[in-house]
Formats: sequence, structure tokens, C-alpha cells
Amino acid sequence: MGFLNKSQLKSPWLMHFDCGSCNGCDIETLACLTPVYDVERFGIINVGNPRHADVLVVTGTVNPRNAVVLKNLYDQMPAPRLVIAIGACGCSGGVFREAPNVLGGVDKVIPVDVYVPGCPAKPEAIMDAVVTGLAKLKGILEAR
Amino acid sequence: MSEAYIGLLVLWPLAAGLTCLVLTSPGARSALVLSTGIALAVGGLAMAVNAPFAAPSALLGSETALHIAEGAAFVLPAYFLIRGLLAKHWLVIVFALGQLALAAYGAAAMPHAALVQNAAVCDGLSLALVLVVCFAGSFIAIFALPYMRRHEEHLRLRVSKQPGFFMILLAFLGFMNGLALSNDIRVFAAFYEATTLCSFLLIGHDKTEIATKNALRALWMNCLGGMFLHGGILLIQQGHGLVDIHEIVDPAVWAGASMLPMALLALAGCVKAAQMPFQSWLLGAMVAPTPVSALLHSSTMVKVGVFLCLRLGPVLMGSTTGRVLALAGAFTFFAASALALGQSNAKKILAYSTIANLGLIIACAGLGTPVALAAGVVLLVIHAATKALLFLCVGDMEQVVGSRDLEDLRGAVQKAPTTALAAAAGALGMILPPLGMLMGKWAAIEASLNNPALLVLMALGSALAVVCWVRFSGTLLAGRSASPSAAPSSILTSGPILGLLFGAIGLGMAAPWINALLLPGTSALAGGWGLIPSLFVTAMLGWIIGMKVLARQSSVRLATPYIGGLPSREPGTFVGALGKNWTLSEGNEYAEELFGEPRLTRVAGVLAGALLLALVGGAII
Amino acid sequence: MNLTTFYLAFAGLVLAPLLGGLVAGVDRVVTARLQSRMGPPLLQPFYDAGKLWSKVIPPASHWQGLFVRWALVASLASDVLLAAGADVLMCFFVQAASACFVAMGAFCGNSPYSKIGAQRELFQLLCYEPVFLVAILAMCKAAGGFDAFAIMAAKGPLLYKLPLLIPGLLFVVLVKLRKSPFDISASHHMHQEVVRGVYTDYAGRDFALLEIAHWADVTVVLWICSFLWATGPLQMVAAGLAFLFAALLIDNISARLTWRYMVKVVAPVSLFLATANLLWLYLE
Repeated sequence: MGFLNKSQLKSPWLMHFDCGSCNGCDIETLACLTPVYDVERFGIINVGNPRHADVLVVTGTVNPRNAVVLKNLYDQMPAPRLVIAIGACGCSGGVFREAPNVLGGVDKVIPVDVYVPGCPAKPEAIMDAVVTGLAKLKGILEAR
Repeated sequence: MSEAYIGLLVLWPLAAGLTCLVLTSPGARSALVLSTGIALAVGGLAMAVNAPFAAPSALLGSETALHIAEGAAFVLPAYFLIRGLLAKHWLVIVFALGQLALAAYGAAAMPHAALVQNAAVCDGLSLALVLVVCFAGSFIAIFALPYMRRHEEHLRLRVSKQPGFFMILLAFLGFMNGLALSNDIRVFAAFYEATTLCSFLLIGHDKTEIATKNALRALWMNCLGGMFLHGGILLIQQGHGLVDIHEIVDPAVWAGASMLPMALLALAGCVKAAQMPFQSWLLGAMVAPTPVSALLHSSTMVKVGVFLCLRLGPVLMGSTTGRVLALAGAFTFFAASALALGQSNAKKILAYSTIANLGLIIACAGLGTPVALAAGVVLLVIHAATKALLFLCVGDMEQVVGSRDLEDLRGAVQKAPTTALAAAAGALGMILPPLGMLMGKWAAIEASLNNPALLVLMALGSALAVVCWVRFSGTLLAGRSASPSAAPSSILTSGPILGLLFGAIGLGMAAPWINALLLPGTSALAGGWGLIPSLFVTAMLGWIIGMKVLARQSSVRLATPYIGGLPSREPGTFVGALGKNWTLSEGNEYAEELFGEPRLTRVAGVLAGALLLALVGGAII
Repeated sequence: MNLTTFYLAFAGLVLAPLLGGLVAGVDRVVTARLQSRMGPPLLQPFYDAGKLWSKVIPPASHWQGLFVRWALVASLASDVLLAAGADVLMCFFVQAASACFVAMGAFCGNSPYSKIGAQRELFQLLCYEPVFLVAILAMCKAAGGFDAFAIMAAKGPLLYKLPLLIPGLLFVVLVKLRKSPFDISASHHMHQEVVRGVYTDYAGRDFALLEIAHWADVTVVLWICSFLWATGPLQMVAAGLAFLFAALLIDNISARLTWRYMVKVVAPVSLFLATANLLWLYLE
């Protein structure tokens, strides 16, 4: 693997967006940054700017209002990018699936690469999802 | 031979000016102005080739010339007095009367001094001023041709005032050249008064209420300066009997003598250069049309003040008067740079920056060492070119955009691409290495190593200037690059602008050699000056790389702006609450609570006034 | 210019950014350990730059790439000047030019966060430049020359004559390294008060080059700080690292200050201390 490809796998910068989550999954996601779980070991940084992000971590069921923003953020991210849907809500809308304004999961708006079930999802599962996503990215980079 | 060139430099512009007064056809006027420009350029270059020289001159040193000069010392203040009486402006009346009184005392009580042996002297400093007048002055006069036409269209004047305008503009160029080359202090004083007259007439050109008010303010302050000048001259004649400038600035004459005349002359220079607390006349002069601001109030007339102070340099070296003058100059550099930060009026930003840089040059003059004086001259020349460029660009953008406020000039690169880019280049040229202004600042700082107060003030002023100019050029460039619908500008507008831009850059490249010419015995690339060629090569490499990237990025579609994820339907808007298109507005942070004009002017004015009082008082004691 | 100077200049050009990258790596590891975490590998900044280099993204403005390249050239030039032992004052001005270009590129951006960052970056420039300049002038006066070699060859550690420069230099290091409490214009990492402020619109290869320019800047600033104890190469490295660790410690225990507080309180106080030290040199 060339240095540049190896760098892409060793420096996945995360952007986190809450699409109407109860914040349970958000708290677990941010817990990954704490000393107990420490995702920075993998080179992961939480960035707020989609132009700098490689991985988009989305929580919450998506509703028509924030679907526009979600799509916009996804479009502003440079390729190659990964999307991780966190929690039952992000995967399929969770218990709120039948509610009138709920679109029912992130993949109704943007293509998702990794799904993390749970309510809330555990930090270990979230980190595992990122690693899985990176393996997928490795495949994409090697296929180029 | 030199007499012919002196005639070319001093008499041709005067004659051309008088001819302009009677010409009504714009074509003939343009031809006359262009020919004057060429004549001045030729004369200036001839001076440069023949310099340095000291020669007798019929034009500047004969009995006739002296009689005219002495007559001017009465006639001009009398005219000022009449204007003051007509306007019932008591400050003008008082100071004009003061000047008349001094002139009368000089004529009656002083023994008639002999004619000066070498009436025309051209050394490094004189040559610098002559070249500034010839080149910057010509470019500005040429720029003024389309500018004044549009200005008068905008004001919907029925009878054109351009003949009178160009008469005074061209005559002024002649006066400046005479001032730079004359070695008799009485002739110098006459030209000094003549420039005051030109400034007064040109500031009041538009004859609006505010123009008249500001013209009178400029008049009384410059009359005060004239009083200081004449006072100093009289004291020198009384105490030492000298009228030859080069004899006057011989340090041996002043060993053990009172420095009061020197202090008065320096004070006259400070008033002419609009140093604090005398800066309000220059700020008021910004109401005049742009060519006036560019020519008189940034590149040429105000340089008379620093020219005088630099001329006094050898005497001021090592003296208390010199140290206090340097401190006053450095303080003005700091205070005016701070004042520039609180301004959004583009011409006032330029005015404050001019005052600041003149303060820096006066600080160099106060230090008086050959190295400091050389730095001062380099600053004088390069500042004239760069500031003239900036004023012309702001003037053109003001006519295209319709406002001189920096907030309205935001993104001017779309509407007036050449001018805005030249302005941004000029602004960055004021602060970046390896261009000349920064090299001058660097040389001035290194020359002040023995003077800690100067070092700190220069450091502060330099940082303030950086913020001001980066903000200025950043505001101009905000927005996309040139849109195809931008109006093409005439060659008479973009020609002078580009000429001054390349002149400023070229002078920056030549700065080590200019410095070496002013300091006989040093090699051009000694010390830090030797870095300039390598820095220029690096800059050119960066330029080539940058231009390639600019070309590449200009042809791609831009990314949508990041506005917290909200989409943007048109440039400059975002889709926000209620699904509406909201406009994004932006503005610069001027931090008025820190850099606001009224409070800062009061504080700085008091401190600067105290320093100048100490300058004169210290010389008396 | 002789051959030795050329070799030194070339070494400066190549090694300075690499050294700066290592410093950035040490920065992240030490910060993590201070927070009881493990932290990324030491070479993480290089992986970050490599990743950014590979990203293709449309620019936010036509001028962005131009100003990034000019900032990189200026930063590398300031390193070369120091390495070749040239005038330190000129090195300071060239480094300041780099900071100007970064701000200019942000002015030309299209995101409001970028513009806020640009305005704040200018106020940061206003605050740290006089302090840095006065500190450098004090070092030049104490050492008796403007050349880097003259300062490095000065007798005895300059720290004994210039103790009051430390607060000022620490302020400069905090600002240049973009660390709390002076991380005002680029709101780093977690905080993201103005997203990435002055860096918001830079992305992809432009951002990678800007990171390299940042490493070069960091090397220059820490090198100049290490002039306070320039008795030998190891001592200089130790002095530079001492400033780095002090900055990291302050970063981890403080919150971000506002730019108004920085302009009204912090800058005047550190400038006052540095000026006092400068004046002290003239009184001896």
C-alpha cells in the first residue's frame, strides 16, 4: 500500500450529525473520545467541517427538515467517504418509524456503509463500526 | 547644461499650466499633459544621470529669482489674508498676519544676505524628490484626465473647471521640482508657500461647503507651518548669517549653538507632513478629487515636510532635538496606524497610513545617522509610488462602485478587476517582504537599535499596519474573480495605475542599490540587503506556482459554501427559517471601542503635542 | 554566499517541516497522556497530511490555492533564513507574510465561519507581532547582532539577561501553535466554536500544504524561543521542547479567551514585560 493510501486508513476524520436523535447515541459517540475508549489511537478526530471529514456519523431518525441539511453535508464531503448510521433510529427509524415526520433511517437520504444497531449503541460497537468502515475503504482504495 | 534641465523641470510645467488655463479643448489638454509628463520624465532621468551636482543657477539663484522669492514671501501671505478676511476665518487671518509680520521683520531688520554660490544642488535626497515628482506626478496628472471628466459628469457641471484644475496641478509640479533643487533657503521658503497655495486651491476645488471649510483648515495649519519656517530662517540669518542650505546643515555650525532654529524648521516639516497633532488638515483634504489626494496629500506635497527633516538629519544626529523629533515621528507612526484600524472610509485609511509612514521617515530623520537617512529616503521614494498607486485605485473604484466606504468596496474585484487587483497588490506591497516598504521599515528598525522607545513604537506601528492592509486587500478580493461584465477602463486610467505598480515593485527590487547610492562606500548587498535578491527570486517562484494554481482553480466550479449544512440557492444567500432565502451579510470588525477616531485622536493628539512642545522647549533651554 | 550556507539552507528547507511535523506528533501524544489517554502514533501528523493530500475537493474560492502556495513558500523561506544564519528580523517578517497569506485566503472564502476566522486571525496577528518583534530585538541587542549565528554564539544563556521575555514568548507560542486560551481564530479540535475558523474553507491538498506550512512556522517559532538558551544544539532542543510542554500544559488547563480580552489585556501586559526587559538592557 502506498503511503497516501495507508494515510487515508490511518487518519479517518469523523463528522458527527444528529438527525433528531434523543441524544443517547450522541452521548455514546462522544464517549468514544474520552480516555476510557480513546478513538484518537486510530487517528480519529472529531471535526465539525464536512470539507475536512472522511466519515459521517449520523444518529437519529431523519425528518424532512434535517434531511436537506444531511444531504448538503454529505455532498460537501470529499470522496472517498464513509457513512455510519448509529443506533436503531439511524438504521431504520427505531420505535419512531411510524411517526408522521420521520423518514425512517439515514439510508432514506444518503447511502450508508455501516449500520450500528443498539438503543443506544455501545461505544465499543461504534468503534468497531469505524474499523469495519475502514476495511471497506481499504477495499475501495485497493480497487482503484 | 544642468540649467537647461532645471528649466525643463521647473519652467515647463509652469508654462504648460498657464497654457492649460486658456485651452478649452479636452484633446489639446490631454496632449499638453502627456507632453509635460514626457518632458518631466526626460528631465528627471537627465538629473539622475548628472547627479550629484552643485552648480550656480540663474533660475534658482539670480538676483531676479531672489527678488521674486522675497516678493512671494509678502504676496502669498497677503493673498491668504484676503481669503481669510473674505471667509471671516480668524485663524487664517491671525497666521497670515503672523507670516506677513515675519516677512516684514526679515525685510527691514535683517542685513541683505549675499547670493548663494551654488543655487542648484542635486544630491541623493533632492534627486529622490525630483524623481518622485516627475514620475508619480506625471502618472497622476495623466490619470486625472479621464477622472476629472467623469467627476464633472457626475456633478453635472455646465461649465468645466478643468482648465483651472490642470493649471494648478501642473504648476504645482514645477514648484515641487524647484523646491527640491534650490539651495537658497529663501527660494525654498517661497516654493514652500507656493505649495501651500496650490493645496488650498485644490482642496477647495469643488466649492462645496465642506470643501471650503477643509481648505481653510489646511490653509491656517500650513500658514502656521510657514510661520515656523520663516521664524527658523530668520533666527538662522540672525545667528549665523547663512542662507545656503548646505552650509546651514553642516554640523560644525551648530556645535555649541542653540538648536532652536533647527527645532522650528523641523516643526515646519512636521506641520507640512501632517504629523500629529496637526493631522486634521490632511484628513480634511480627502474631500478633494482623487488626483489631488494622490498627488499633494500622499506622494508629493507632504513629502516636502519629510524632505526638510531629512535635510536637517546630519545636524540632528546625536542631539537631544534629534532624539525628541525621532520619538515624535515614531509616536505618530504608531498612533496614526492605530487610527487607520478604526476607519472604514477607504480614503481616510490611506490618509492615516500616509501620516504614519511620514512619521516613520521623520523618525529616521531624527536619528540622523547616514544609515537611518538612507532608510528614510528609500521609504520616501517607495512610499510615494505605492501610496499614489493606492489613491488612484481607490479613486477609480469609487467612481465605478459609487462609494468610498470599504464595506461598499467589498468584492470590488468583480466590478473593476484591474484596479482592485492593483490596489490589493499595492496594499500587500506596503507590508510584505521583499518589497520596498517593508525593507525600508526593516532598515529603520535596525537603524534604531540604540533607541528602545523607537523600537517598541515601530514594532507596534508595523503590526497595526499589517492588520490594516491585509484587511483592506482581503475585503477587495472577497468574492469571485473577474466577471465578464466588468466595464473596461480607459488606458489613461489603467496605464498610470499599472505604471505605478510596476514602478513600486521595480523600486523594491532596486532598493539595495538605491541604499548603496545614498551611502557612499558601502556595497549594495552587504548585510541584510543581500537577502533581497534571493527573496525576490523566491517570490517569483512562488508567483509562478501560484499563478498556475490560480488558473487551474479559476476554471473549476466552486464548492457550495459551508453554512452549517444549510443549502444555498444563490450566491450570498442560504435557505433558512420558513424555507426562505436569507441573505448573508458580512462586515469588517473595526473595534471602535479600541480604535475609534474621536477618543484616540484626543489622546494621541495630546501626547504628540507634548512631544513637539518638548522639541521646541528643549531647544530653547 | 558560500557552499556551507547553501547546504545549511537546503537542510533547513527539507528538515524544518519534518521537524515541525514531529513536534506536532509529540504535541498530540503528550496532550493525550496528560488527559490519561494513549493518543495517536507519533507520526500521525504525517498520515493526516497524506490523507488530506489525496482528497480531491472543489475549492471554496479561486484565490485559495494561490494564497496557500504563497503561505507555504513564505514559511519555508523563513526556515531557510534561520538555518542559513541570516538576519532574524527578516526571518520574522517573512514568517509574518505567511500568516498574512493564510488570512487573505480566508477572506476570499465563501463560508461565514472562514470570514469570522479571518477577522479574528488579524487581531491575533496584531497581538502577537509586536511582542515577538520586541522579544527578537531584545535578543539581538543582548547578543550584539542581528544574525541568527551571532545570537546563537552569544556568551552565556541569554535567559539570564532576558527573563521577562518568557511570558511574551509563551504567548507567541500559544498563538502560533493554535492552543487554548489563544486558539481564537481557528478553534481547534473539540471546541469548534467557529467550526475551523480561518481554516474552514481550506480542504484537500490546499489544507495539506497549509499543514506543512504550519509545521515550518512552528519550527521557526520554537527555534527563536530556544535562542534564550543557545549554548549548544542539545540545549536548544531542550529549550524549544520546554516551551512546547509549557504551551501544552496551559492548553490543557485553560478555556479559550475572547479576542477582546486578548487585545485589551494579554497583549499589552506581555508587551509591557518584554519592553521592560528591553529597557533594562539599555540601563546596564
